[in-house]
Amino acid sequence: MTIWGALAGGVVGTIVLTSALRLAQELGWTRMDIPLLLGTAFTDRRGRASVLGYVLHFSNGIVFALGYYAIFRAVSHAGWWFGGVLGLVHAGLAGGALMTVLLPAVHPRMGTPWSDAEETPLLESPGFLLMNYGRRTVVWTLLAHVAYGAIVGGFAAQLG
Amino acid sequence: MERIDGYAPIREYALIGDGRTSALVARDGSVDWLCLPNVDSPSVFARVLDAERGGSFRLEPLKRFESARRYLENSNVLETTFTTATGRVRVTDAMTLTDIERISPMRELVRKVEGLSGTVALRWAFEPRFGYGRVETRIERRAGRWFAHAGADAIALGLCDAGEGALENGAVTGELRLGEGQSALISLAGATKEPAVIPGREDSERRLERTVRFWPEWAGRMEYDGSWSEQVTRSVLVLKLLTFAPSGAIVAAPTASLPEWIGGSRNWDYRFTWLRDASWTLDAMLRLGFRDEAHAFFWWLMHASRLTQPRLQVLYRIDGSVDTQEHELPELSGYRGSPPVRIGNGARDQLQLDVYGTVLEAIWLYGMEVGRLDGDTGKEVARIADYVADHWRDHDNGIWEVRGKPTAYTQSKALCWVALDRACALAEAGLIPNRSERWRDGADELQAFVDAEGWDEQRRSYVRAPDLRELDASLLTLVMLGYHHPRSDRMRGTVAAVERELREGPYVYRYRGEDGLDGDEGAFLTCSFWLVDAYARSGRVDDANELMAELVGLANDVGLYSEEVDPRTGEFLGNFPQGLTHLALVNAAVSIADAERERAA
Repeated sequence: MTIWGALAGGVVGTIVLTSALRLAQELGWTRMDIPLLLGTAFTDRRGRASVLGYVLHFSNGIVFALGYYAIFRAVSHAGWWFGGVLGLVHAGLAGGALMTVLLPAVHPRMGTPWSDAEETPLLESPGFLLMNYGRRTVVWTLLAHVAYGAIVGGFAAQLG
Repeated sequence: MERIDGYAPIREYALIGDGRTSALVARDGSVDWLCLPNVDSPSVFARVLDAERGGSFRLEPLKRFESARRYLENSNVLETTFTTATGRVRVTDAMTLTDIERISPMRELVRKVEGLSGTVALRWAFEPRFGYGRVETRIERRAGRWFAHAGADAIALGLCDAGEGALENGAVTGELRLGEGQSALISLAGATKEPAVIPGREDSERRLERTVRFWPEWAGRMEYDGSWSEQVTRSVLVLKLLTFAPSGAIVAAPTASLPEWIGGSRNWDYRFTWLRDASWTLDAMLRLGFRDEAHAFFWWLMHASRLTQPRLQVLYRIDGSVDTQEHELPELSGYRGSPPVRIGNGARDQLQLDVYGTVLEAIWLYGMEVGRLDGDTGKEVARIADYVADHWRDHDNGIWEVRGKPTAYTQSKALCWVALDRACALAEAGLIPNRSERWRDGADELQAFVDAEGWDEQRRSYVRAPDLRELDASLLTLVMLGYHHPRSDRMRGTVAAVERELREGPYVYRYRGEDGLDGDEGAFLTCSFWLVDAYARSGRVDDANELMAELVGLANDVGLYSEEVDPRTGEFLGNFPQGLTHLALVNAAVSIADAERERAA
C-alpha cells in the first residue's frame, strides 16, 4: 500500500467519475454538472466556470484520495472492495451533506430553501441526494463514487 | 363581503408572499390558501377549495363590520381596515423575509392588529389542515405555545396580546379586544424537515418592518416611463411574488383548481412554470430594467430544460424537475362545488410547438441584451433550432392545450417560424453555431405554408388552423412577435377580425369553437391585453388606450387579475392571480408607451 498508488488512483478515479457523470448528462439522465456547480462559485461566465470547475474537481479528487489513503492506513487494509465501500460512504456524504447543504450555504450564486424575494440566485440547489437535477442523478452519483473508491482502493493496494 | 356557501368570491382575495410561497387573504380577514414550505407544496390552508375541510386562519371583528384594504405603497404587504359600530382596527398581513440578524423561521406569516379608534372585539381561528386536508393534523400545546404538525411539517403559533386560545374541534380559537393605540401580533412560523424556529414579538416586528421597507425599494428599481405606471408597478410586484426565489422559476399562478366556470370541471393546477410564458417574462423584465431577475430566469430556463433538450416540455416544476403528473383529490369538494380538484398538470405530455417560438424569442431577447451566450448554451440553442426544423410539420395541441385531436394550428406554425427566424438572427450575431442556411430554408417553407393554408381570404385574417376556419385570439401573438410587420395588411386584418368576432366590450374570448372539453369558460383576460398590445403595435394607439382604460377598471380593489372573467357578471374565474394576465398588462403598457413616443416623434 503506497500513497503514490492512492494518488494515481485518485487521478484515474476522478477521470472515470467525471466521465460517467458527463455521459449521464449527455444521455439526458441528469442535469448535474459538478464542474459548473464548483466553477460558478467564482464566476458567472459559464465557459470560464466549467474550466475552473474541472480544475477544482480534479483537485478535490486527489485530496479525497489522500483521505481514503489515511483510512486504508488506519485499518491496515486497502483493496477494490474496501475502496468501493468507502466510495459508497463518500457518495452518501456528497449527496446528503456536502453538495446539498454545504455547497448551497457557501455558493454565492446558488439558491437555498431559505432564499427569499430579496435574492436572485442563478443556480438551483441540488436538493436531497441531488434529486433536483433529475431523479436518476442519485443512481449515477452512487455508481460513479463506488467506481472512484474501488479504483483508489485498488491502485493503493496494487501499486507499490 | 358576502360568502357564498362559505366561499369568498375570487375577486375578494389579495395575495401576500415572500418569494417562496404565498397566501390568499380574503377581504373578511381569512387566510384561505397557503402551501408550505413552497408554493407547489401541499396546502395547509385550502378553504378556497373546500370550505368545510380545507383549513384556514380567520381573523375578524366579532360584530358586524365593513372592510377596506390596500397594499402598503408599492409593496406586497396587505393592510385591511375593519370598521364596526364601536371602532376601527387595522390588520397588516405579510409573509416576512429572512432576517439577516437573527435566525428566522423557515416561513413566517405575520398578522399585526392595531386599534385605530374606539374599541373593537375580534375573534380568530387557526385551523390548519396539512396535506390538502388529507393527512391527520395534530395540534398540541407545548411550553405555553400551540403547535400544529403532521409528518415532517409543523407550524408554531405565536400569540402576542392576542389571547391564549383554546382547542376546539381541531381549531385553536381565541378573542381579543383592542382600544385605540393598542396592538396585538399573531405569527405562524412554518418548518419542514427541520426544528421550528419560535419567534418572539420583537423578532417578528423587526422582520415585518424589514419586509415593509424591502418591497418599495425593489419596485423603485423599475425603469418605466409611460401611462398606467400604477398598474404596471402592481403587476411587477405580483410577478415578483410568483417568482420562486430559490430557483428563479416563475409559476403561472399560486393556486390550483380554481374553476374556469363555477360548477365546471376545467380546474387546473397552475403552480408550475410554462415555458410559453418565457418570452413574455423576459421581455417584460428587460423592458422594465429588472436585469437580475431576467438573468436568473434565463439560467433557470436553460438549466431546467436540459433533461429534455432538444425537445422542450410544456411545463416544468419550479425545482426544474419534469414530474408534473396530474391526479385528483376527491376528498376536496372544489371551489363552490366545482370538482374535481386537480393537483399536477397533464399538459406536460402534450406537444405544443409554439413553445419553441417563445423560448427562442426569449433567448434572442436575452442574447441581444447581454451580448453573449456561452459555448455550451449556444450549442444547446442550435440543437433546439434543428429540432424545430425537423418537427414543425407535426400536429400539436396548440397554445390553449386543447385536449382534443392534434392539428396544424396556425399559431403553432407561425411560432415555429419565429423560432427559426430568431435562431438565424442569433447565428448571424455570432452567438450560436451557424446553421442558418438550413433554418432559413425551413422558415421560408413555414411562412409559405402558414400564409397559404392558415389564411382566410374572405375574412382577410389568419384562422385557427387549416381545418378549423375560425378565429383564435392567440393569432394576436403573430403581431407581437413580428411574424409580419405589425402594420402590414395581413396583421391589421387579423387584428380587425379578432376584434370583430371574439371581442365583447373589453372582453376577448380565446375562440368560439370546440376544444375537446365539457363545459363553458369565461373570457380570457390575457387576450384582452394582447389586443391592446396588437392595437398599439399596429398603429391604433387611441384604440389601445381606450381598451386599456376599460381593462384597468376590471381589476379588483387591490389591482389583481384572475385568468378569466364572466362577461355577464364581472366575476373572476380561474386561478388567481394569473401571471400571464399581469405579464400581458405590462407588455401592453410598454407597447403603448413605445407607440406614443413613436407618434410624438
